[in-house]
Amino acid sequence: MTMLNQHKEGEPFMWLGLWLAVLGLGIGIMVGLNIPLILPQAYAKYMSVAALAALDSVFGGIRAAMEDHFNNDIFITGFFSNALLAAGLAFFGERLGIDLYLAAVVAFGVRLFQNLAIIRRHLLKK
Amino acid sequence: MNKSVYMSITLVAVILGLVMAFQFRTTSGVDQGVPYSREQELITEKRQLERDMDQLREEAADLSAKLEEAGKGYSEATGALQSELLKIKLYAGLIPVEGPGVEVILDNLPESERPGGNPSLYSIKDDDLLKVINDLRGAGAEAIAVNGQRILATSEVRLAGNHININLTRLSVPFKVVAIGNATTLKSSLEIKGGLVEYLSDLGIAVRVESKDKIIVPAFTGGLRFDYAKPTQRG
Repeated sequence: MTMLNQHKEGEPFMWLGLWLAVLGLGIGIMVGLNIPLILPQAYAKYMSVAALAALDSVFGGIRAAMEDHFNNDIFITGFFSNALLAAGLAFFGERLGIDLYLAAVVAFGVRLFQNLAIIRRHLLKK
Repeated sequence: MNKSVYMSITLVAVILGLVMAFQFRTTSGVDQGVPYSREQELITEKRQLERDMDQLREEAADLSAKLEEAGKGYSEATGALQSELLKIKLYAGLIPVEGPGVEVILDNLPESERPGGNPSLYSIKDDDLLKVINDLRGAGAEAIAVNGQRILATSEVRLAGNHININLTRLSVPFKVVAIGNATTLKSSLEIKGGLVEYLSDLGIAVRVESKDKIIVPAFTGGLRFDYAKPTQRG
């Protein structure tokens, strides 16, 4: 119940954050679709793993915000380091002849579902 | 919640959107990616097809050249047939011809100049005409006509009452026999001493032979029928 009250206090701020996120996503998609630049097919694999990692970070951030221990620095560093690490892992695996990106996919996928489950629980508890 | 939080949320959202859009475009633009081996295979196939196409194009050019040649050959053959036909028509007497030659005019003497007796004895007979024609042929006449009737291999010269039939056409005096050939030879062979002119004159027929530079012998105008004669295999 205390959590609920806290949420109620920070509600306008949270809504502002949500709207900013949606707006930013929309802008990013629009720019990405209209930019006259196409990524070579060879880099698509790294990009996909990086996108998965970024998505995981975002859900992690949402979960942290719901558990009220959201830390901006952790969120930002986690976002970038996860993405870069995933891409780097995929690249390294390619060099070594091992499909290391699968490891990233599995790891981030599992975490993604975990985060989603926790978020769902929080939403239902409300 | 301070400003830096909103900034970071917006930044992350923008980057996430960008990355997702890029990824979407990359994967959809290349049809989920064609496997490398398949690509190689297709490239090889394409090269093969291009080679085939070049070869076929060459073949087509060659064949069209051959076709053109064949067409030329065809027109040449047609020309040869035409000239052959013309030659055969010329031999057969189916086309009018002209050239130097002689003109022989045979006429009955006027009644007063005839030596009396039966006047029909002194009129021109088919024999006389045949002799003239025969003599002209013997002297190398290439084309002969009597009163406009071309003498062919099938032409008859028959007495029919007061007339003479040639090519089933009734002719009567005076007879004008035209023949193309060497005019001098023709004339001299008729007028030789003891020759046909002398003989006919003795029979009481007026004969006049004139050599001319240009004589026109008309074509045979009747129909030729071959009801019984059929060509054999041995030409």
